Amino acid sequence: MSSHHNTDSIQHLYEGDQSKLYSGVMSHHSDIESTESKTQIKKIWKVFWILLAITLVEVFIGMQLSHSVPKPVLAFVYLSLTLVKAGFIVAIFMHLGDEKKNFMTVVLIPLVLFVWFIIAFLADGGFWLHMNSTSPTRDHGIEHVAQ
Amino acid sequence: MSQATATTAQEQNLWGGGRSPFNVSYGKMMMWFFLLSDALTFGALLIAYGTTRFSSAVWPDANKVFKSFPFLEGHNLPLLFVSLMTFILIMSSVTMVLAVHAGHYGDKKSVATWLLWTIIGGAAFLGCQAWEWTHLAGECGGLWGTFTNVNTPVHEFQQFYNTDSKEVMNIFATQPLVAMQSTHSFFNYFFTITGFHGGHVTSGVIFNILMLINTVNGTYERRGHYEMVEKVGLYWHFVDLVWVFVFTCFYLL
Repeated sequence: MSSHHNTDSIQHLYEGDQSKLYSGVMSHHSDIESTESKTQIKKIWKVFWILLAITLVEVFIGMQLSHSVPKPVLAFVYLSLTLVKAGFIVAIFMHLGDEKKNFMTVVLIPLVLFVWFIIAFLADGGFWLHMNSTSPTRDHGIEHVAQ
Repeated sequence: MSQATATTAQEQNLWGGGRSPFNVSYGKMMMWFFLLSDALTFGALLIAYGTTRFSSAVWPDANKVFKSFPFLEGHNLPLLFVSLMTFILIMSSVTMVLAVHAGHYGDKKSVATWLLWTIIGGAAFLGCQAWEWTHLAGECGGLWGTFTNVNTPVHEFQQFYNTDSKEVMNIFATQPLVAMQSTHSFFNYFFTITGFHGGHVTSGVIFNILMLINTVNGTYERRGHYEMVEKVGLYWHFVDLVWVFVFTCFYLL
């Protein structure tokens, strides 16, 4: 009897009381055999097949076409497919698609930083190569070491 | 006007305390914010890799570096092994989301079963990675910091390059040190980034084992919900998400 009382008081130290603050979109279900549950499971497996199919397409391109298709086209295709896969994982597997719109915004907006981050750094890397392959001192240096 | 007043009242109510404005628990929200910061860390590592690659005249070819399969050494099987690793990780993501799903319905037995499959998947992935690291360490003569000696002959690293390319052969002939530097950078980034990812998988497996122990012991059943499984699930899916990008950057591009 006393142990039962103990469990109850410990529960308040965890998240137990917090559940009253929100109604978890996915929680408070009871029957895993219900149609609602089965629809959800079907959706999960569908996403699995989509992810697998995209990966197989990527690997096929990597094995067969990587030396015949122009690099920029290849990069565009790979990155598009990667973002599609990422979208499915975040929206369905991580259930971000089921969260409130404003919470989705809070999580996703900071990632916009990557747009600047990627463009700025890759451009800088490209310029560095250009600078080094056109600079006379650098060419001289390499010839010198090679000799 | 009356509509505006109603909206304001609703907003005040939403942020006025007593309930979560985002309708998520504190722990879950903090997991999302942690993953956001972790995404920036992984992003920084991958962008550093990209920057070095953009600033290099030549770069190793993924089809030449990753062409081995356990027990089939000597065969030319580009990308096959990493495809298997990717499949294992996607699969373990599915079993994880099924564990989370079972948790929403309070189905203790299903949660335990799917968590166990997820742990097996994670361990299998780590096993594959251990093999790949060992194999590449054998090819390079170490993990980090290989290809630093300026007297290294070209034939020691040219197997990592697409030697059918005139551009590559030209660099090998005129600037072998540039090619050696690229090889050095490639493997340093490879071991750092896949190592950081592997560290995440390792801690994910440990968290999943803890979840399994707690589930079997009935801790979450007594608590009334399986939210911990959901939070660890978020972490696990994030690890899969990172792999999607690592796979593209190292093995495809």
